[in-house]
Amino acid sequence: MSHRKYMQILKLDDAEVRSRRAFFEISDEDLARLAALRPLAEKHTDDIVEGFYELLLRHPETRKFFEDEATIRRVKRTQREYFLGLFAGKCDLAYVEDRLRVGAAHERIGLAPKWYLGAYRRYLQLVHDRLYRELPPAEAGAAFASMQRLVMFDTALAIDTYIAANAETLGRHQAAIRELSTPVIRVHDGVLLLPLVGAIDSHRAQQITESVLLRVAEEQAKCIIIDIAGVPVVDTKVADHLVKTTAAVKLLGAQTILTGISAQVARTIVQLGVDISAMHTLARLADGIELALSLVGKSIRAKEPR
Amino acid sequence: MIGVIPILRIGATLLATVHVELHDEIANAFQADVLTMIEKTGATGLVIDITGLEMVDSYVARILAETGRMAKLMGTATVLVGMRPEVAATLVRMGYEMSGVRTALNLEDGLALLGKRLVDLP
Amino acid sequence: MIAVAATSTLSTATLRIASEDDVVNVRRKVKSIAQERKFDGFATAAITTATSELTRNALVHGGGGIAIVEEVSDGMRVGIRVQFRDEGPGIADIERALRGGYSTARSMGLGLSGSRRLVDEFALDSVPGKGTVVTIVKWKPF
Repeated sequence: MSHRKYMQILKLDDAEVRSRRAFFEISDEDLARLAALRPLAEKHTDDIVEGFYELLLRHPETRKFFEDEATIRRVKRTQREYFLGLFAGKCDLAYVEDRLRVGAAHERIGLAPKWYLGAYRRYLQLVHDRLYRELPPAEAGAAFASMQRLVMFDTALAIDTYIAANAETLGRHQAAIRELSTPVIRVHDGVLLLPLVGAIDSHRAQQITESVLLRVAEEQAKCIIIDIAGVPVVDTKVADHLVKTTAAVKLLGAQTILTGISAQVARTIVQLGVDISAMHTLARLADGIELALSLVGKSIRAKEPR
Repeated sequence: MIGVIPILRIGATLLATVHVELHDEIANAFQADVLTMIEKTGATGLVIDITGLEMVDSYVARILAETGRMAKLMGTATVLVGMRPEVAATLVRMGYEMSGVRTALNLEDGLALLGKRLVDLP
Repeated sequence: MIAVAATSTLSTATLRIASEDDVVNVRRKVKSIAQERKFDGFATAAITTATSELTRNALVHGGGGIAIVEEVSDGMRVGIRVQFRDEGPGIADIERALRGGYSTARSMGLGLSGSRRLVDEFALDSVPGKGTVVTIVKWKPF
């Protein structure tokens, strides 16, 4: 997912960024302090980035993400920019966008949050050591505190990136399931067929209704055959869903033929008292197709023998 | 308000095309116009085309069903055509039967239902 | 009560419900957010219709009031929350009103029970003599 999409999903606008900044207590003073440390940061960037990746390359679980030289080089370059970004002296929308770009890149290669966050800890450690080495304790302390606030702010963004990516994947999977679970077939002009297979829960039932309605409208189909031979359990709820789908199709001006009604299902439906009198129902799909064709003024006829 | 919903006469059938949201005065005027035209023309069929309606709530559903009932009292059969998938799904989900209202996919099918054919009309 | 714990509000707009035109306004506002947020056609129709029903209820049975339309997020998904407030006579028998069903008798009941089926979250608070607050939330389906 692109960093722009993350910005959208996380509704990251000026107001949101300001609100986060306030909550992480990143003051103008903090940013000024960090900006003043830039020369120092530039001096140490290379070995901090080395130290950062040394950890990642040391552990087999994280090393595999950086298998080839080209990847390592590229990623180190990104990290240099990232690290120096902490000392740019700003924490605004542009800053956030930059951070998300890095987050998105890591998420894309599949680096799990635990590694990502563990690596951030390493960052802080490396910086902490050098700050205390180069500056008097009081100054080092203040600098580290400022840095910590900004790094935590970045960490929150990183976590959000993972959550948003998961949500997006879930969405795509749901869409794929929806496609696969409602294969509406056009058997003839104005006649559609939907062979239902598998269990039907409320969620799927709704998707079915929606897919059916869209196809009927799209094809201006006068008739749709819904075959339920492949549905393992037909209880009141399922029967109710089928009734609702039929009612909706009727509102569009088309008819529904339900086929694949087994002896067991016929008993269940009548015993449950579900009223499906408004629907055409048949045991066999083949009969359903014949009925459907007759409803559109067609019929199947044997060819004349020569 | 009169004439906001265009009502065309095709032989002995009236075709009303609802292309704007039906609320309040527009709905009332629509009903009045339809009935006036039935009276004037002696139309025996009424097709209400709701292809343009993106939303039908209980109020609009009631107006449409009522219009059909009023037309029926005057001897005119009504067919609702072109309902959008989202509208149908919503109505059914809400639990509105809209019983007593005949529906068809489009104008051609609607006229066929009323016993007329596009091809036969003057 | 609707769980508001982990939900953040991304935007909020308060609209007046005083006339039939306002029913259209509130509905349009909700629809525009749904389209902006790329809710699919069915979800958009669902939230728009529920909004229309409840706004009309507030107008016709509640004597008018306000609708607070908000974009919300729970960190993972985006949703639309609408709260309808009126200071009307209130609903004496909430259970009955919500049962609604296929009865053509009380149009309000039908609007309430119907709307409930169109949204993901639905809360109704009403005190006879004081007024009614109906809150609905529709999350963007994946």
